[in-house]
Amino acid sequence: MSALASWRLALRLARRDAMRHRGRSVLVLVMIALPVLAVTAADVVIATQEVSGVESLDRRLGAADALVEVPAGGAPMLQAFDPYDGSTSADGVPADHEPPAAAEVSDVLGGVRLLERRQGDVYLRTDDGVAYVWATEVDLRDPLTRGLFDLGSGRWPADSSEVVVNREVRDQGYAVGDRLDLVGDDAPAPIVVGIAESTTSRTMPVVAGPIGSLGIEPSEWSGPAWLAAGGDVSWAEVEELNALGATALSRAVLADPPPDSEAPEEIRAWSSGTDDAMVAAIVLIVVMALLEVVLLAGPAFAVTARRQARTLALMASAGGTPAQSRRAIIGGGVVLGTVAALLGVALGIGAGRLLVPVVQHWSGEWFGPFDVPWLHLLGIALFGLVSAVLASVVPAWIASRQDVVAVLSGRRADTRPSLRSPILGVVLIGVGVAGSAYGATSGSSGEFAIAASAVVAVLGMILLVPVVVAGVARLAGRLPLSPRYAARDAARHRTRTVPAVAAVAATVAGVVALGIAVTSDEAENEGTYQAMLPMGDGAVTAYDLTPPQWRDLHGAVAAKVPDADVVLVDGLVESTSMAEPDARSYYLETRAPGVPRHQPLLSMMATTFGSSVLVDDDMPEIVRGVSDAGRRRGDAALAEGRVVVFTDRPVDADRVVLRPSWSTMDDSGNLPRATVPATYVPIDRSEASASLVIPPAVIDRLDLPHAPVALAVSGGRITPEQEEAVTEAVQAVTNDGGFYVERGYQADDETVIVQLVLAGLGGVLMLGGTLTATFLALSDARPDLATLSAVGASPRRRRWIAASYALVIGVVGAVLGAAVGFIPGIAVTYPLTRGWDPEVEAHYLDVPWLMILGVVVALPLVTAALVALFARSRLPLVARVD
Amino acid sequence: MSVRQALLALLEEEPRYGYQLRAQFEQRTGSTWPLNVGQVYTTLTRLERDGLVEGAGEDGEGHVIYRITDAGRAEVANWFTTPVERTQPPRDELAIKLALAVTVPGVDVGAVIQQQRSATMAALQDYTRLKRRAAEGSRREDLAWSLVLDSLVFAAEAEVRWLDHCEARLRRAQLERPEALLEEILAEEADEEASR
Amino acid sequence: MSAVLRMAEVTRVHGEGATEVHALRSVSFAAHPGELVAVMGPSGSGKSTLLTLAGGLDGPTSGVVSVEGVDLAGVGAAGRARMRRTSIGYVFQDFNLIPALTAVENVALPLELDGVRSRTARAGARAALEEVGIADLADRFPDHMSGGQQQRVAIARAVVGDRRLILADEPTGALDSETGESILRLLRARCDAGAAGVLVTHEARHAAWADRVVFLRDGVVIDETGADHADALLDAGRIR
Ligand SMILES: Nc1ncnc2c1ncn2[C@@H]1O[C@H](COP(=O)(O)OP(=O)(O)O)[C@@H](O)[C@H]1O
Ligand SMILES: [Mg+2]
Repeated sequence: MSALASWRLALRLARRDAMRHRGRSVLVLVMIALPVLAVTAADVVIATQEVSGVESLDRRLGAADALVEVPAGGAPMLQAFDPYDGSTSADGVPADHEPPAAAEVSDVLGGVRLLERRQGDVYLRTDDGVAYVWATEVDLRDPLTRGLFDLGSGRWPADSSEVVVNREVRDQGYAVGDRLDLVGDDAPAPIVVGIAESTTSRTMPVVAGPIGSLGIEPSEWSGPAWLAAGGDVSWAEVEELNALGATALSRAVLADPPPDSEAPEEIRAWSSGTDDAMVAAIVLIVVMALLEVVLLAGPAFAVTARRQARTLALMASAGGTPAQSRRAIIGGGVVLGTVAALLGVALGIGAGRLLVPVVQHWSGEWFGPFDVPWLHLLGIALFGLVSAVLASVVPAWIASRQDVVAVLSGRRADTRPSLRSPILGVVLIGVGVAGSAYGATSGSSGEFAIAASAVVAVLGMILLVPVVVAGVARLAGRLPLSPRYAARDAARHRTRTVPAVAAVAATVAGVVALGIAVTSDEAENEGTYQAMLPMGDGAVTAYDLTPPQWRDLHGAVAAKVPDADVVLVDGLVESTSMAEPDARSYYLETRAPGVPRHQPLLSMMATTFGSSVLVDDDMPEIVRGVSDAGRRRGDAALAEGRVVVFTDRPVDADRVVLRPSWSTMDDSGNLPRATVPATYVPIDRSEASASLVIPPAVIDRLDLPHAPVALAVSGGRITPEQEEAVTEAVQAVTNDGGFYVERGYQADDETVIVQLVLAGLGGVLMLGGTLTATFLALSDARPDLATLSAVGASPRRRRWIAASYALVIGVVGAVLGAAVGFIPGIAVTYPLTRGWDPEVEAHYLDVPWLMILGVVVALPLVTAALVALFARSRLPLVARVD
Repeated sequence: MSVRQALLALLEEEPRYGYQLRAQFEQRTGSTWPLNVGQVYTTLTRLERDGLVEGAGEDGEGHVIYRITDAGRAEVANWFTTPVERTQPPRDELAIKLALAVTVPGVDVGAVIQQQRSATMAALQDYTRLKRRAAEGSRREDLAWSLVLDSLVFAAEAEVRWLDHCEARLRRAQLERPEALLEEILAEEADEEASR
Repeated sequence: MSAVLRMAEVTRVHGEGATEVHALRSVSFAAHPGELVAVMGPSGSGKSTLLTLAGGLDGPTSGVVSVEGVDLAGVGAAGRARMRRTSIGYVFQDFNLIPALTAVENVALPLELDGVRSRTARAGARAALEEVGIADLADRFPDHMSGGQQQRVAIARAVVGDRRLILADEPTGALDSETGESILRLLRARCDAGAAGVLVTHEARHAAWADRVVFLRDGVVIDETGADHADALLDAGRIR
C-alpha cells in the first residue's frame, strides 16, 4: 500500500471515528478552536485598528497626491517610503541652509499647485478651565482637503475669521456662532461656523480653519507643509525634495512602493534591528500556548487511541505496520485539527467583526476599514492544526508500540513507563534551573533567558509527570475507596492522565512564576516608596492663585481640618498656570563652590510644596529629615540672613552660587548669577521636600519673585472625609490645584487586577484540563462504574469518584507546577527588582503565598467540588455494558 | 464390551481370585456395568486357555488365584494403546423416537423434546450429585469412578445439547414453512373457540 | 423455609412500539436458603434480564421482586444499592473485577461501600479469599491473574459479608471445563452452607450442579426439573 493510499485510509477511518464519538470530538474541537478563535478575533481587531500605510492616505492627504513637510528647518532629509515610519536629517547639514520655499517645492514636482497646511496646538478657555486643542490651518473649501475632515453640521469656514470644531470641543461649551476664546495675548478669536470631525482622531478636541484663523506660526521644528495636487509623485521626486530639506508622503509611492533597497541605508537599519527580542518573545509565547493547547487536547486523543487499541491490535496481528497504526491515530488529529482550525478562524473573524465597534468605543483614533489579515490567519489556523496533530502524536506512538497480546486479551492498562524519560526530565529541569540562575545574575537580557529556561523546566516537568502519577498511585493504598480508585486508575491510564496533569502543572507554573514576579515588583515599589510628607499630613498646591485667594483658601482649609496646623508656604514661583502662557516661572540652579557640577547637592528630592525654594525667616516646620542640631543651625543662619542649603553629601563651604533663569510658555532667559552666604544643612534625601530656604530679604535683594505656593497641613491625622472636604474647597477656587495627603504606600490597583486576572486565567485553564481529563476518565471507567453499581455502590459514588479524579489531577498538577513555577519566578525577581542604581544592591522577593495556596489547594478543591456537583449521579448498568 | 481386557488389566496390578476381580471392577466403574461372578469365571477360563493367565495356587480360604502371563501383559499393553473403534452407531431409541415424532402427524414434537430434556437433566443432576460425593474421596479408585461419571455426564450433556439443537432446527423449519405456522394459529383459535 | 428470592408474575418489556421486546413474561420464581437454582435457556431467552431484576439492577415492568422479604421496588435506588452490598452478590461471566484495585480490595469493595472501616473490610475480604482458596493472591492486581483466579476473586466478592443471595450470570462462560467446574463447586459449597443461589447458564453440564433447573424460552418458564412441583406451585401461590 502506498503511503498516500494508507493516509487516505487513515483519514477516512479517523473521520468516521470522529463522527461516531461526538462528545470526544467536540471536546477536542473546543480545546483547539477556542484559542484559535480568540487569537483570530484579536488579530482581526488589531489589523482593523491599525491604519496601515495605504489605508491612512485619505485621512492624511485628503484628496492630494502628496504631503510635503519641512521638519528640520531645511536640513537635507532621509526618509522611509512613508516619512512617519522614519525620517532623519542627513549628515553634514550646511549651516546656512534655508528651508525650501513653496516655489522650489512646486518646481521639483513639475510646477504643481500647492496648498499650505499648518498644524499645532492651541489653548482654549472653556467652562472648566483651559483645554488643549489640536489645531489645523488649511483652506477647507479646497477640494484637495476632502477626506481630512467630515463636516457634520454648519459649513466650512469662508475666511480666516471662521473655524470648524469637532464634537469634543462643542461638548466643552462652544456652539456654532460662538467665538473661540483662545489663550494668548494676540490670539485670534474666530467664529465657529460648523462642526466637523477629524478622520483621524475620535476623542481629541480638534479645531480647523484657514491659514491665520488660529494663529499657528510655523516654527523651527514644525516647518511649513503643503498638500500637493497634480499627479503622482515618484520616489525620485521624493528624494529630490529630501535633498531640499523636505519630506514627502506620496500616494503613488505608498500604493506601489519601490524595492526596499531604494530606501536610505540608515532608515532601513532602524526597522530591521529592533525585532530580535520581539521575535524571541513571540516564539516563546507561541511555544507555551502550543504546549498548553497540546496538553489540553492530549487526553482526548489518548482515549481515542485506547478505544481503537483493539482495532489496531487486530490490524497488527493481520500484518499492519506500526506506521499504519500511528497514522490511524494521527489521522484523527489531522481531521479534528483541520475542522477546529477552520471553525476557529471563521468564528474568530465573526467575533472580531462584532468586537470592532466595542473596541472602537475605547479608542481615541478612528479605525481603518474592517481588515482580515489572511496571512496571519493562515498561521493561526496552522497553529490549530499543528497543535491537534502534536496532541495525537504521543498517543499514536504509544498505540503503535502496544502489546498486541495484552490488548487482545482485554487488559486495559497502559504499558509501564520507561525510565529514560524521567531522567531526561530531571536533566531538563536542571538546565532550567541553571538557565534561570544565569538569567538572574546576567545583565540586560536576563528576563529572556529566564523565560526560555522556564519553558525548558516545564518540558522537563512534563517528563516527570508519569513517575509522579505512578508514585501517587503507589501511595494510594491507604486512601478511602474513591481517591484510591482514582489515583490507581489515573496511573493505569497514563496517556490520558499525563497530558491533563501536565496542562494543569504548566498553567500553575506560569501563574506562580508571574505571581511571584508581580508581587515582588510590588514589594519593590513599596520598599522604594518615598513618602513626601509625614503620615497623615497634607499639602495644598495650586498654580494660578493670587495672594489674597491663597489667604482665603487658608481660612477655608483651616476650617475643614480644625485640629491640624495649616501654614501658608512662601516660595519661589517655579510653575505657573497653563492659562497664562506669558506668566514667568523661575528656576534656581544651585552650586557649592568647590563641588563639581555633575554632583548635585541633593541627589533626590520631591517638590511637595509647589516649589523647591522656600522663603522663610526660620526653618519651616514642614521640612523634614533634618536633625535638631541642623534645625538650630538653620534657624541661626536664616536669622543672620544666610541661605540654608539642604544637602546629602558632605560640603565644606559657606557660600552658594545661585543661577536663576526664567521661562514662559514660549520664551526663556537667564538672570544674573549671585553668590551669597550660605549654611549647608544635612538632610535625609528620602525625606527631602525642599532644596533651599532663603530669607525674604535675600530673595528680594536678588530680585526674584516669591509668593504663596502651598498650604501645609500637619499635626492632625487627616481623615478621608476631611481630605474630600479640603479637595472640594480647593476646587471651588481653582481647577489647577490639588490636595495631596500622605497615606503611605498605596498598592497599585493594577497589581491586584493582574493577580486576579492571573488567578482567573489559571483557574479557567486548570478547570479545562481537569474537567476534560475527569470526564474522559469517567467515560473510560464505565465498566468499572457498572461493576461498582453491581456490588452495591450507591449512585452518588460516581460523583465521589469524579471528584476524586479531579482532585488527583488538580493537586498533582498544581503541586508540580507550583514547584517548577518557583524556579523562573524567583529568578525573574532579580532583573525585575534591580534598581536603576547599579551600585545599590537591591533585590525584593515577595512570594504571594495566599495566591499560591489558593491555586495549589483551594482551586483543586473547588474544581473537585464543581465536578462533584455537576457529575451525573447515575451508574451505568452492567447488562448494557460492552 | 471387553470384560476380557478389563480383567487382564486388573490382574496386571496383582494376582487375584475371581470374586476379588468382580469387586474391583465394580468399584472402579461405579457399578455402571454390573458383572456377575459366573461371567468372571467363564472369562478367566478362556484367558487361561489362551495362555494369557495362569493359575497360581489357592489362598488359605480355598480361592483359586490367577496370575497374568507375559502374553497377557502384551495383550493389555496392546489394548491400552489402540483406540476404541467407533463401529456402527448403537441403536439409539431416542433418535428413532424423534425421527418418527417429526414425521408422524399429530405429535407435539416440542413436548417430546422438553420431556426428554427434563428427564436427561434429572439424570444429569443425579450423576453430578454422585460426582460430588466421589470427589470427596481421595483414593485413586475414587478418581477412576469420577472419570466414569464424567463420561456419563458428558454423554447426557451431549444429549441435552442435541435436543436443544433439534428444537432450534424445528423452530426454524416452522418459520420457513408459513403454512405450518398458519395451521398452528388456526389450531390455537379453534382451541379458544372450544374453551369459550 | 421462606425463600430468599421471590419473583411473582414478573414481566419486563424493553423498548416501545415497533421495537418492543418482551424479555420476561409473567415469570414466577423462588430460591430458598441452601438451594442452588439453575436457569437454562438459549441466548436471548431472558436469563440475564431475570438476574438483573433479581439483583435490583433493573426494575420489572410489572410484578414483584423481593429479596429476603423486602420488595425491591419499595426501597428506592439507594435501598437497592444497599441490598446489593449486604444481601445480594453478583458474579459475571467476564469477572468484572476493577483492574485498578487489588484482589483483596476488589473483594472488600461491598464492605467498604457499606461504610465498614478499611482495615476490617480487608480482613473480611482476606477471609473470603481464603475460602475460595486464593489467599496468597490477595495483593495481586486482576491483570496479573488467570481467568479462573479472577473468577474466584469475583465469587469471594459476591459472598463476602455473608450475603444470602448469590446471582451468577454464566460464571463459567469464559473458563475451561475443569476450571469452570471448580467455580461451580465453590458456588455449590456456598449454597450448601445456607445461601440461596441462582445460576444462569446455557450448559446442561453446569446446570446439573443445581438442585433445580428452570427452563426459560422467550421469556417464559416452560419447565422445571428436580423440584418438588407442588412446593414450587405453593411458593408462587403464596406470593400471589
Ligand atoms: N436494555 C435492553 N433494551 C432492549 N432490549 C433488551 C435489553 N436488554 C435485553 N433486551 C432483550 O431482551 C431479550 C432477553 O435478553 P437477555 O436477558 O440478555 O437474554 P439472555 O441473557 O438469555 O441471552 C433479548 O431479546 C434482548 O435483546
Ligand atoms: Mg445473558
